[in-house]
Amino acid sequence: MTETAMEAAALGKTFGRRRRKDALDGCAFRLPAGSVCALVGPNGAGKSTLLSLAAGLQKPTDGTLTVLGHAPAAVRERLAYVAQDKPLHPQLTVDDTLRYGRELNPGRWDDRVAERIVDEGDLDRDARVRTLSGGQRTRVALALALGKRPELLLLDEPMADLDPLARHQLMATLMADAAEHGTTVVMSSHVVAELDGACDHLLLLGAGRVRLAGPLDDLLAAHRLVTGRADTSLDPHTVIESRTTGRQLTALVRPEGPLGDGWQSTAPTLEELVLAHLRAPQAPALSLDDRREAAV
Amino acid sequence: MSTAIPALGGLNRTVLRVHRTALVFWVLAVTAAAAALIWMYVIGDEARGGIAACVSPPRDGGPSCAEIGSITADERYTDGIRVVTELIAYLMFPIAAWAGGVLVGRELESGTARLAWTQSVTPARWLATRLAVPAVLITAGISVLVALILLARGDGDPGLVGHWYQSEAFVSTGPTAVGHALAGLSLGALCGLLLGRALPAAGLSFAACLVLYNGLDRVREHLWPTATHTATDARTFQLPREALAVEWTYQGDRIVGATYHPPSHFRPIQYVETGILLALAAAATLAAFAVLRRRTP
Repeated sequence: MTETAMEAAALGKTFGRRRRKDALDGCAFRLPAGSVCALVGPNGAGKSTLLSLAAGLQKPTDGTLTVLGHAPAAVRERLAYVAQDKPLHPQLTVDDTLRYGRELNPGRWDDRVAERIVDEGDLDRDARVRTLSGGQRTRVALALALGKRPELLLLDEPMADLDPLARHQLMATLMADAAEHGTTVVMSSHVVAELDGACDHLLLLGAGRVRLAGPLDDLLAAHRLVTGRADTSLDPHTVIESRTTGRQLTALVRPEGPLGDGWQSTAPTLEELVLAHLRAPQAPALSLDDRREAAV
Repeated sequence: MSTAIPALGGLNRTVLRVHRTALVFWVLAVTAAAAALIWMYVIGDEARGGIAACVSPPRDGGPSCAEIGSITADERYTDGIRVVTELIAYLMFPIAAWAGGVLVGRELESGTARLAWTQSVTPARWLATRLAVPAVLITAGISVLVALILLARGDGDPGLVGHWYQSEAFVSTGPTAVGHALAGLSLGALCGLLLGRALPAAGLSFAACLVLYNGLDRVREHLWPTATHTATDARTFQLPREALAVEWTYQGDRIVGATYHPPSHFRPIQYVETGILLALAAAATLAAFAVLRRRTP
């Protein structure tokens, strides 16, 4: 198994010739194989662009992105991708769609995995895809992705169309499958709660740049949620975001040493960490890939 | 239905399954046209009898006009041949619109092309199969129809089946029929790739075929050197039977000569035109691959 599942160096993607718009700009990160990575960021941050580059559907404008040690287009059969709009052939039945996956992935396809995902949703195998609900289509799209036994699974907002129960159940199936086979998963979402507990790696994008990258535990450990008197200084720590209520100040900080007396500190949750960075777009980036601290 | 053809590769089978409606439609259309042509072949002799010379009242053993007039097979035959002739000649239009709109444009628009590209199929292989499978079926179907229409036309009596140089008759009675259809297929695919949306691609493909069809119609008589015929007696100038006049020579207001295509030029013009169409199809296919290669890694 390749040690690095995905690695970006100075990765950039620009759309439009006349009115150039940077979807990604100078992104660098490294994702170890076997990790489950949450890809988060506000709308337009470049999440979908990054996943589509990794799936070998687009060419980067600058820099490089390697996937499983190769250019994404060279390892199509080893990666799977579920696009945000879950494209499927509407005129095919569920069974036909699974057959489609089997025929396009000779030697790799696993019928049991694909059929289990479809059957868990109580889908009529003879129903045409166009008659399915959004959630059912998601199931079929995930069955196609997992059926090809990918080493890297790229999911763009996979759970958006599912009700909470189906979401919970499908997430459990997905995680069990990934753990069993050591699949690397990159999953984008703006519902942070959906990712908590499932992910061990975080990649936070903002305006096309990497804001936070690294193992989730390390990133959480590098931040503290502190409460204290409003007139106390937080120097020399890096303050990501702070709020004052009366004479009390609450802040998310990156401690640069022991916190002084007078500060009550707790570990932030994933949601607190992400939200604070989303609310403070000017906060410095932090990359803990390879446990090397490379604050930009 | 697809499991019945396991000899084909998986990718080819997916093209047939995804475009099953078009496949069924094509098989039905070719079968219906072939059946009509066989019927025309069967009534052909009777129809030719229906336009024979007659004598009224009957004498000298000549056929009676009342008898000949009672034969109606010639009308059915003429109409039948005309309908199938036009059908074959105009096939490039629906083929191009389908290729641009459904085969390529809709797949890019709805994202199912991206689905294939992440199901282990490279974009180049995806396009190659998408063109090759219909090309084989189109070539096979049209070849059968052209063979049958030549059979059904019999001696090609212009009074029944029209002149050999009329646009629809010319296009539908030789290899150029296949050339037109394949040019339509590849032009459609190119338009689909360029526009990436079903409806505009179908429209553009149709328009491109309209230009090509009418353009060829105009230049057709220049595709092969003409023969010249000069009058020996200016008052009785006449071109040989079934000749296509290209340019008349006048002396005063009297025609004294002409350049023209005799019916024997049918074959060379067919071959030149087919060559042009196949070259165009190849160029459009190469352009389509170039566009795809520029857009995808």
